[in-house]
Amino acid sequence: MRVPLFRLGLWLSGLVLVFNGLFPALWILFTSLKTEAELSRIPITYWPDNPTLANYQRAFREAPLARYFLNSVVVAAGATLLCVTVSAMAAYALARLRIPYAGGFLLSLVALAMFPPATLLVPLYQIFTGLGLRNTYLGLILTHAALSLPVAVLVLYSFFKTIPKDLESAALVDGCTRIGALRYVVIPLSGPGVFTAALLAFVNSWDEFLLALTLNPAKEMRTLPVGITLYQGEYLFPWPLISAALVVALVPVALVIALFQERIVAGLTQGALKG
Amino acid sequence: MSRGLGRSTANRAMRRSPRDLSERALASWLLLPAFALLGLVAVYPVLNLMVTSLYELHLAYGPKGAFVGLANYERLLEDARFANALRVTLLITLVTVPGAALLGLLLALLANLPYMVKWPVRLGLLLPWAMPLVFAGLIFRWFFESDYGVVNDVLRKLGLAPLFWLSDPRLAFWAISASIIWKTSSFVALVLLAGLQSIPKEYYEAAQVDGANAWQVFYRITLPLLAPSLFVALVFRTITALQTFDIPYAMTGGGPGNATETLAMYIRTQTVENLNFGYGSAMAVALFVLCMATTALYLRFLQREEGE
Amino acid sequence: MVRLLVGVLVALLLASGALAQQVKLRVFIGGQQRPDVMRKILDVYEQRNPGVKVEIEVGGATSDQQQQYLTTVLTSRDPSLDIILIDIIRPAQYKAAGWSEPLDRYLPLGARDALLRQYLPAYVRANIVDGTLIALPAFADAQFLFYRKDLLDKYGFKAPTTWDEAIRQAQTILQGERNPNLNGIGFMGNISEGTVCSFLLPIWAAGGDVTDERGRLVLTEDMARRSLQFWLDLMDRHRVSPPNMAEKAQDTIRREMQQGRWIFGTLFAYAWAHFQNDPDSQVKGKIGVAVMPRFEGGRSASCLGGWQWTISNFSRNKAQAYRLLRYLSSPEVAKVLALEASNLPAFPELYRDPDVLRANPWFADALPVVLNARARPVHPRYPEIADVMRRGLNAVLARTKTPEQAAREIVQGLRTIYGQ
Repeated sequence: MRVPLFRLGLWLSGLVLVFNGLFPALWILFTSLKTEAELSRIPITYWPDNPTLANYQRAFREAPLARYFLNSVVVAAGATLLCVTVSAMAAYALARLRIPYAGGFLLSLVALAMFPPATLLVPLYQIFTGLGLRNTYLGLILTHAALSLPVAVLVLYSFFKTIPKDLESAALVDGCTRIGALRYVVIPLSGPGVFTAALLAFVNSWDEFLLALTLNPAKEMRTLPVGITLYQGEYLFPWPLISAALVVALVPVALVIALFQERIVAGLTQGALKG
Repeated sequence: MSRGLGRSTANRAMRRSPRDLSERALASWLLLPAFALLGLVAVYPVLNLMVTSLYELHLAYGPKGAFVGLANYERLLEDARFANALRVTLLITLVTVPGAALLGLLLALLANLPYMVKWPVRLGLLLPWAMPLVFAGLIFRWFFESDYGVVNDVLRKLGLAPLFWLSDPRLAFWAISASIIWKTSSFVALVLLAGLQSIPKEYYEAAQVDGANAWQVFYRITLPLLAPSLFVALVFRTITALQTFDIPYAMTGGGPGNATETLAMYIRTQTVENLNFGYGSAMAVALFVLCMATTALYLRFLQREEGE
Repeated sequence: MVRLLVGVLVALLLASGALAQQVKLRVFIGGQQRPDVMRKILDVYEQRNPGVKVEIEVGGATSDQQQQYLTTVLTSRDPSLDIILIDIIRPAQYKAAGWSEPLDRYLPLGARDALLRQYLPAYVRANIVDGTLIALPAFADAQFLFYRKDLLDKYGFKAPTTWDEAIRQAQTILQGERNPNLNGIGFMGNISEGTVCSFLLPIWAAGGDVTDERGRLVLTEDMARRSLQFWLDLMDRHRVSPPNMAEKAQDTIRREMQQGRWIFGTLFAYAWAHFQNDPDSQVKGKIGVAVMPRFEGGRSASCLGGWQWTISNFSRNKAQAYRLLRYLSSPEVAKVLALEASNLPAFPELYRDPDVLRANPWFADALPVVLNARARPVHPRYPEIADVMRRGLNAVLARTKTPEQAAREIVQGLRTIYGQ
């Protein structure tokens, strides 16, 4: 019958998706439980011979990993909040209000994304040093928010464009102000778009390395990616140790994703679109 | 920018509350924060970059630069290594953008199926994107190492000969491309999934009533409604592809020789290692022009599509 | 009453004097250069110099990452750093970019030569750029020929003095051991700084060099080709190295050697501590240290490493920074670094110091190597020079270019840089 086949197909595709996404993460997880010697073994091993948690202990001992974690959380959360707010406002204006320079603004937004941050390091360093924002949360939050702004605006822009204009027009006819329409009609409907943009901004900030290294090098202000690279030596690359730190860095992101994905799906086509 | 009550012709048709701002005023307020943020973080550095590109500023010859106009750009035209980096970058873009789009579409379609337990699927979808690029490159280098890599281990177990992924130029290109596709298809899939989710179920139900088959549903409902999201994903994927740096840098360092050196890598070499800021800035501007040209192409395509 | 007043006055004067002299210095070191040991060293300095506080700024784990960070800071003319720990390949670049304060103005005439004679001779060449002293050594490093003493003893060999000997020894041992996981001669071949040393070793071993004493390019295509051919032959002709050397980074070779998979390895000093002290080391007590082999009629020379202290040109406390620098580059501090961090000292006399030898017995074997070490080309455009050399060798090892092609490109590239 069709149904069991469908179920099987569903299971298989689910497995494919999960495996595709997780195999490097699994590799890192296994590596974090191995010793250095095991890594030079030929043929290579997958599951560790003698799983050990020593790398995790070392990771927390050799560096203030918990503090790096906190810094990453603060910066990423701040950047996400700022980026989503600013980009939602901008995207709404571009999508709904008639602005002569809308196209130009969008284009320059995308244009600014075309300069790899690495090329802007020196002037950025000068700006933030001049403003006294080096080694602060605010400086990095501003930078990360700006980094994700182009993508967030574009995502939200295309989202707002798919919300039927009739809804807003109806609200306006009913006597609502534009801002009211924004609050009561558009925002509730833009849930998925906002969450997508938020997720984008969050992950971009969590993973960002180069600017975090340049702007926040002080030990107590480092973010996770910067802190994790510091386990290296000039020639040494202690994979088990770094893997343990990576797991610590990735687990919260994985959690955030696992939590957020419900919200993105839930309540999407209910409500207003039913006419 | 005029504030207060405006009265454009189109708005007269609707009754508006007298407390409402004019469209343009509202727009200005809404756009102001974005302008401010970008002005601080992007505009000044970009202008600085452009100005530097007009100078001969090579710190190996002294800290002061001299204005040379477009000389750096002229040098670019004759730089064989620049041409090589351009070639590598374009090839990577041509391979990884469609690759990520296709794989992302496939993953998004799969992720959109009605699973009983959704979160592992969605997690598997998004985790590649969540991994810091810095480490993704190093992990993939490990995977493709000839002695210790998983890829060769699988080949050996299948009875095939192991390959020198990282020291053969062609194999290295494909190893790098595969890694990039794996990593970036996740982002494409996210954008597409969001787009898929916003397609009203009524359309599908109506199609079912009309007796359409799966392919027709896909081709005439899903794809067209996905188009805006797909467009956004493609534009950003292309721009990031043109700026590819982390993965080849970690996997081969641009080797063997210069076979896998991208523009972004060459720019970094010139600025951070050689301290040739004038020339490096000119290259960064050239990269920017390339990105702009590509985006313009996309927009032209979009306009044509919308015109039909 | 008067005495009380005088006492108070004196106390006030002293206090204000001390306050007036409160100087804050910032020292930049890399993440893996033992900030903990450095802190203790600086605490001693602070005790001896009341009124001076020294902070450590740690940035970047590798030479590359530090360079990235320092480039940003120094290009912005940031005065936040006073003293910087730089890699041995950087002084020329720092001088040209105007990032380093020349040290000559703090040394009376003639004192400079006396000062420099205390250090290992190679550091004179590395730290004097166009006649100006730019930096002073913090600690030394060099490339050693590590070898499996136990295997060589088993076949009745002594440490090889020429490369031909090394090759023959490796071949004999490989045939005798019949171990598919054992390899002969390990060297660096990937795109990294170590590969520059690989390129230079055979040139030096043949008695040549890239530049002469006046810094003019003397490398010929023939010399370059021979070097490239030498490494290629190790893989293809003599079969003492596996075919994937283009992928090999230094630490890969170190880890493999630690698991007993190499007979010879050209590695820097850090490897020794791992061979002896790592819990999983299979070669504890089995590793010997030798000077680099030479070619017939050539000389034994290895790659000089090590890190140097320099004063930032944008520092606001240059005089105080100089005093701190002299302390940091003194035999006293070098001894502490040798005892606590196992860093090779830059002072030859410390290699015979009984305390140092007790903590690091292998320093006795290390001394001839560091005395024989040569500096890589000293040139403000060194990064480009290094890039040209290592890409050439890497391409040859990956078999994408023949030694002739690569040699031609290397020499052409160098000629462009040297302007000849």
